[in-house]
Amino acid sequence: MSGINRREFLGVGAAGLGAAAGLGFSEVARAAPMLAPRVSKASFARLLAEMRGVVGDAWVYADDQGLRSYKKSYTPDPQLQHVPVGAVAPQSVEEVQAIVRIANHYRQPLWTVSTGKNLGYGSATPATPGQMVLDLKRMNRILNVDPDLATALVEPGVTYQQLQDYLDEHKIPLWLDVPTIGPIASPVGNTLDRGVGYTPYGDHFTFQCGMEVVLPNGDVMRTGMGSIKNSTTWQAFKWGYGPYVDGLFTQSNFGICTKMGMWLMPKPPCYKPFMIRHAEMSDVARIVEAMRPLRVASLIPNVNLMMGAAYQLAMFNRRSDVWQGEGSATDEAVKKAAKANDLGMWNTYFALYGTDESVAAIEPIVRGALTASGGEVLTEKEMGGNPWFHHHATLMRGGLNLDEIGLARWKGNGGGLAWFAPVAPAKGDETARQTALAKEILGKYGFDYTAAYAIGWRELHHIIALLFDKTDPAEEQKADTCYREMVTRFGEQGWASYRTGVPSMDLVAAQYGQVNRDFNKLLKNAIDPKGILAPGKSGIY
Amino acid sequence: MKFAHYSMPAMALFVACALTLPLTAIAEAPPSATPRSAEKLYASTCGYCHGRNVGPVILGRSLPVPAIEAVVRNGLNAMPAFRPSEISDAELAAVAAWVSTSAANPQEHGK
Repeated sequence: MSGINRREFLGVGAAGLGAAAGLGFSEVARAAPMLAPRVSKASFARLLAEMRGVVGDAWVYADDQGLRSYKKSYTPDPQLQHVPVGAVAPQSVEEVQAIVRIANHYRQPLWTVSTGKNLGYGSATPATPGQMVLDLKRMNRILNVDPDLATALVEPGVTYQQLQDYLDEHKIPLWLDVPTIGPIASPVGNTLDRGVGYTPYGDHFTFQCGMEVVLPNGDVMRTGMGSIKNSTTWQAFKWGYGPYVDGLFTQSNFGICTKMGMWLMPKPPCYKPFMIRHAEMSDVARIVEAMRPLRVASLIPNVNLMMGAAYQLAMFNRRSDVWQGEGSATDEAVKKAAKANDLGMWNTYFALYGTDESVAAIEPIVRGALTASGGEVLTEKEMGGNPWFHHHATLMRGGLNLDEIGLARWKGNGGGLAWFAPVAPAKGDETARQTALAKEILGKYGFDYTAAYAIGWRELHHIIALLFDKTDPAEEQKADTCYREMVTRFGEQGWASYRTGVPSMDLVAAQYGQVNRDFNKLLKNAIDPKGILAPGKSGIY
Repeated sequence: MKFAHYSMPAMALFVACALTLPLTAIAEAPPSATPRSAEKLYASTCGYCHGRNVGPVILGRSLPVPAIEAVVRNGLNAMPAFRPSEISDAELAAVAAWVSTSAANPQEHGK
């Protein structure tokens, strides 16, 4: 089984949708979906008919053709366990409620997605077989943008692109904070998965304020101040009264978020992006030590990235441009290619935000600290025109791009990508140990250390892109095994993932301990006794 | 808040900016049911990769419309798949025809 290369595609002629399966789009496209454990073929047919009555024939999918775009995934799935059995796309809260009632009656599990673009974590595919994708993309209203409070209230199907277009159209000088696939991803979906961006508002859940949630019994609950009659404070005050419950609806399966409030950053009068270039792989520990006090004190206010050279190269290059030998690409080969592109082995990106005066006051302090770490401090003046600098300078002001999809072409056209993202405290000695362990495990399987570190505030995310050829079944199996070994062995050192893809949710949940898992199960049984919402999400059933 | 380290003059400037904002922006927006033009859809989705050193150039190559539609719905290789809930059938037909007949853009660079 092999994917189509560009040349073959260009010669496809009038192949069309009907012939797509024969063109080798993917193995999973032909996988026969499995029904959920408590759903018979006859009851599945009945529930589909009832759902069609709610949303219309055009928005319920259970055939091979209609489900193809829901099955597309970058993560390893050698046993074809992550294949949806159907999909339904409502356009309103009332339609969501009706679907939930039908699902409860037939015990049909629903896997909710906002835009389904969680690339590298499973896209729209479910954690277990037999689930129907509840696709909220059609719920795409921007309900409110308050330019005075700098807040927004949006539905799950709104993309960052749509919200940016709205701000542009209305000339509202507020910035978004985007993940690396902002144009096609949803602020709601990314925030609910506790994703990050790269401005001072980079920890998306921190800047979330108020939700509307359809509960498994069909009730609609608003969190924070949203349940107060005549409230005008829903997007202004996060905590409300009593237990703070918004976190229960992130990385979980306790409800379906149908509206979410978020805070937006006022566009600062002055924005200055920087890159610090370090020459050696071992330099990352010194960078973290230099960066931590600046970040903890918010002298550097944004989520900053220390990008490894191979990760950077993989965005705009094919692996064969850098390394054609056996096994993992060597540091020497990566360093040579990086140098040819004005990159170091570590390239640290951060920015200063404020007024000309405040940036000018802070710049000498951060320059001094980072120069002392052995890095070259570079700005637009030196790096203007460099595509990597441009990429990060765009991200750090909340600008939209899809440059990082290029990672999935590192191993040719195969399109395999799985993010492994363990967290650690922001301390240099942790990086040295983590990098050594990652390189050892990846090297055992012949994969490359395409990785970065990010300092959120006090924590360090090690962001490892496991890049493989998904059209090669043997390599897909190898990637699956490699990923599991990384999760397990990092976990043994106390480094667990902050987020993971559908193939490894149980594995990561087990690392957080049985008491925690039992507590989640207790909540699940109370809130969703028939287990219809996303069984297996974060290892919760 | 993260702006705690900003000087008071900086905050005053932020406030000044906020006061000039249009009040109409507060009104609730209608549902986004209007189909996007082929040019807008290309610029805000396809064009981020195709022509910007990520994916291959697709303009100016007379690519067949059915093949474009198949690739968009299936997600060929490293490309994401796009569902009808994201790009409607009508929008897809329009953008595929536009891509198929458009001239090459010298500003684009493929990979």
